[in-house]
Amino acid sequence: MSKVVTAKKRLFAFILLGWVLLIFSDRVGELTQYRGAFVATYALAIASIILLTGYSGQLSLGHSALMAVGAYAGALTINNLKLHPVVGLIAAALVAGVFGLVFGYAAARLSGPYLAGTTLALAVSLPTIANQFPILGGEQGLLFDVGAPPTRLGEEFSQYQWFFWISCLSALIMIWLLVNLLNSRYGREFRALRDNPIAAQLAGINTGLQKAMAFGLSAGIAGLSGGLLVMLISGVSPSAFPLSLSFLLLAGAVITGVYGLGGVMIGGVILVAIPEIAESIAIALGGSEGFTISLPDFMVGSLVILTVLFTPYGIGGQLHKLKHHKH
Amino acid sequence: MNQFITAVLTSLSSGAIYALMSISLVLVWRSTRVINFAQAAQAVLTTYIGYEVITRSGSFWLGLIVAVIAGGIIGAGIDILFMREIFKRASTGPIAMIAPVVATTALLGVIYSLIGFIWGISYKTIEAPVSTNGLSIFGSVVAFSPFNLLVLITVTISMVVLTILFQKTNIGLALRASAHAPEISKLSGIKVDAVRTLGWAIAGGAGSLAGMLYIPGSYLYPNSMAVLLVFGFIAAVIGGLDSLFGAVAGAMVLGFAINFSASYVSYKLVFPTAFVILILVLLIKPNGIFSSGKGRRD
Amino acid sequence: MIRNSRAKRFSVVSTAVIAAALTLSTLPAQAADPGVTASEIKLGYSGPLTGSAGLVYGKLPGGMKAYFDHINANGGVYGRKINLIIKDDKYLPTLAATQTTNLVLRDNVFALVGALGTPTHTKAYAAASLAKKNVPDLFVNTGFSGFANKSKYPTAFMVLPSYAMEAKIIAKFIKDTPALAPQASFLIAQDDEFGVDGINGFKLGGHTFTAAPTLYPQNGLSAALAEGALTKLSAVPGKPILILFGTTDTTATILKAAEKLDLVSKFTWLAGSVGGDANTLLALGVKPATINGALAASFFPDAKDSTDPYVSEFMKINAKYNTGVSFDNTVLQGMNSAMLTVQALRAAGKNLTRAGVMKAIESKGASFASAGLVPLNYSATSRVGYNGYWFGQLNEKGELKPYGGKLAVFTTDSSSTEAPTASTYVRKTVPKNGVPTNS
Repeated sequence: MSKVVTAKKRLFAFILLGWVLLIFSDRVGELTQYRGAFVATYALAIASIILLTGYSGQLSLGHSALMAVGAYAGALTINNLKLHPVVGLIAAALVAGVFGLVFGYAAARLSGPYLAGTTLALAVSLPTIANQFPILGGEQGLLFDVGAPPTRLGEEFSQYQWFFWISCLSALIMIWLLVNLLNSRYGREFRALRDNPIAAQLAGINTGLQKAMAFGLSAGIAGLSGGLLVMLISGVSPSAFPLSLSFLLLAGAVITGVYGLGGVMIGGVILVAIPEIAESIAIALGGSEGFTISLPDFMVGSLVILTVLFTPYGIGGQLHKLKHHKH
Repeated sequence: MNQFITAVLTSLSSGAIYALMSISLVLVWRSTRVINFAQAAQAVLTTYIGYEVITRSGSFWLGLIVAVIAGGIIGAGIDILFMREIFKRASTGPIAMIAPVVATTALLGVIYSLIGFIWGISYKTIEAPVSTNGLSIFGSVVAFSPFNLLVLITVTISMVVLTILFQKTNIGLALRASAHAPEISKLSGIKVDAVRTLGWAIAGGAGSLAGMLYIPGSYLYPNSMAVLLVFGFIAAVIGGLDSLFGAVAGAMVLGFAINFSASYVSYKLVFPTAFVILILVLLIKPNGIFSSGKGRRD
Repeated sequence: MIRNSRAKRFSVVSTAVIAAALTLSTLPAQAADPGVTASEIKLGYSGPLTGSAGLVYGKLPGGMKAYFDHINANGGVYGRKINLIIKDDKYLPTLAATQTTNLVLRDNVFALVGALGTPTHTKAYAAASLAKKNVPDLFVNTGFSGFANKSKYPTAFMVLPSYAMEAKIIAKFIKDTPALAPQASFLIAQDDEFGVDGINGFKLGGHTFTAAPTLYPQNGLSAALAEGALTKLSAVPGKPILILFGTTDTTATILKAAEKLDLVSKFTWLAGSVGGDANTLLALGVKPATINGALAASFFPDAKDSTDPYVSEFMKINAKYNTGVSFDNTVLQGMNSAMLTVQALRAAGKNLTRAGVMKAIESKGASFASAGLVPLNYSATSRVGYNGYWFGQLNEKGELKPYGGKLAVFTTDSSSTEAPTASTYVRKTVPKNGVPTNS
């Protein structure tokens, strides 16, 4: 009985959040709308990592490649199959999800660093495949155009606000689905897999299949965020998914808190805001070219290190601890 | 025939270079159970230090010695100031697996930035200590130089020396024990923390050796060992992270795969080849070619 | 495990907090064209300052800024000082998109100048809504001929000749040179728009290679692989021509591999414009004897030729405003683009508007003073800048001298199979003190 009530409360909370974001988007300028769209996209990508690592205990360094798979699938669906952009985004999630399922199944026997190495190799090699097949557009890449906002939204409705709506809506729906899933039997099975795989096997859970499913799910979410990302830059190309993106998402997941989805939005904000803040500081301080160029990376890296040292459960975990302080 | 011989020779020299990096990654893994992505950054940093010494003294060998010593010190420093803290605070659950990786990656970025602060971002070069011209065999010049030979010999000696160290000495035993079973080691009287720091120091030194032998064949700039890090890690995984011999073997396998596929198929396939080889190996042996049977749950 | 209603409440709260923070950081919109005040004109640059692309082009924005500083010290443009905001995009499309959007929406620049990189700028152009906001995208530094397409990029003006043009002219040069025409030829190119556009251009120029081009991924050609490639090619009899279309570090890797294999004199080397800067090659460890005799195409005077009036003016400006940076072809390119920009701003008149400056380039751009030895082709229908090359040979000092001793300039286009034609273009005299006085 209480589970249904919680599920209803959850849905209501998500809808409320959606409304708040809607109203918010009307009140701010284009730049903030654009940044907000990136926040939603990164938050979704971070959620995919949290699912895989925090909930099912697998480490992947290759999520940039999974995002790329989704992005290309979406672009091809829109351009070649001439389908609606929404279908394109759904295709992005599905294709990436199937890819992740297959990959996860093949990689199910791999433990920690071996899985990490395989996903690393995936991350560096998959984007280069785009150059092998002309249909993928080579280094130039493919166009990813979700079109202008519908005219009935008014003339004042900017492209950036449209991006904001699409990415926030996608992220909200996906994360809501994910949260429901994690509160179901599947979520418990994932956690069992993470905490004690031997006991899980004894309890009758098919660990290989579960691992693959977690990977597939995570890949699907990453694929959707990849589609959203290339929507924001109006096109997909191999260089949009460098290895450093995988590491950036991992860093975001650690800062957010790898155990729970509560803070993904903060993780997204940090990934967007920190480089900008760092750049402003670098310009304000002046100094040699080497200094100005390197300062943003220095700050991002230092922030991650400080997080790992002082709040290893991330910001989300920290606040969770504060709330449950009664123990 | 010429194409085949060249492919073999270039595979050997490529493999030797990947082995430099994979050895130092396996060293860190064997002594601390951490994948140290910052290894490349430490290597580059100490290579810059070596560069400064070479520019002032004119001697590559002096620069090499200083770089290796600096590598050892910096490696030990990172463990004492940094890794110990991380292990203390993030020791259970999935965070234990992800925190060190993320931390070393962040450290990678921080060290790169520091290099940018101090030396700037322009490309520099280091001249090799021995000739880089191809050896002349039976009148024709082949794709293998005295410098390539030096790298190959260094890799072989390192592998032998380090394997002896790990397998046949008490220190080696202490290193392995501290990594696998720290609690029991402490009970046996091993100073686990100090031993681990030693492991980081040795790995740091090995990384510096890698950098100083790699850069003369390439260019020196903050991000110059990024590709080498990726290939070195893949090579280590192929060979099995628990074996130094595996590190070298894996690097050779990777070198042969990449050079042969490039020469006989296409130069575009460099990265996909690495991936395919890795997947093939891991499908058959999930813990690498030279893994010790059942894999350990890390 | 976090209970989800709390997490959601937490998220709502955090949204509100974030909303407040971000709202406070947005700037109000401006009424007239942004980036112009009575005392200042704000311009923006986004391009790679690090990595292989940074190696080739990193000095460009600094060169532009030095030139603008010189103009500012000499009265600016009708009293307005030029403020160039420089952003590093590391040659990543996502970063280019966000940096360019920042330049337009946050820094409110009047125009973009010299944007660099094809996969990066094509995305950035759309992401920053340059077309919709009518932001001029002046003198884009890429060889991608697509930017001249007015319907796709209505506010963009190219400046560099396209890679296809370069390839066509190389093809003609080889055909017309008796020593080269009968030899086998090969192309080693980076597997992206350099290579692909180039291959297309060679096809248009009617040139067939002896074997399929060797394409390698960016950052993927190690010394060992280069050695393997060269050994294969060395089996070809005669003195084959090797055309290298890639960044300078890879060109250097290939040349050094040739030194190792004692194959330098086996081939005739032809370096594409992107990776052919002799100074950089020498700095990367290539021996002077190796580049001696190498062929290269250029559309500028050689940066080492201090007898050229434009080069000497720019060298003076570089020494004064760009201390510590050695003057080379990239700095020359940057200063030249900056000089074109100043002339465009002047030609638009004292009442400076975005539409005005674009119209000014269309109507008067072809007659701007520039260091290029080939003509500029701006008009009401054309967004193409330079459209030609001359051929030269490098000597041991890294100086590029006209092939055969006589300067021969050819112009062509990017899409037809028509052969390049000889050009009789004569440059305008360099403005006195390097400060344009056009209107």
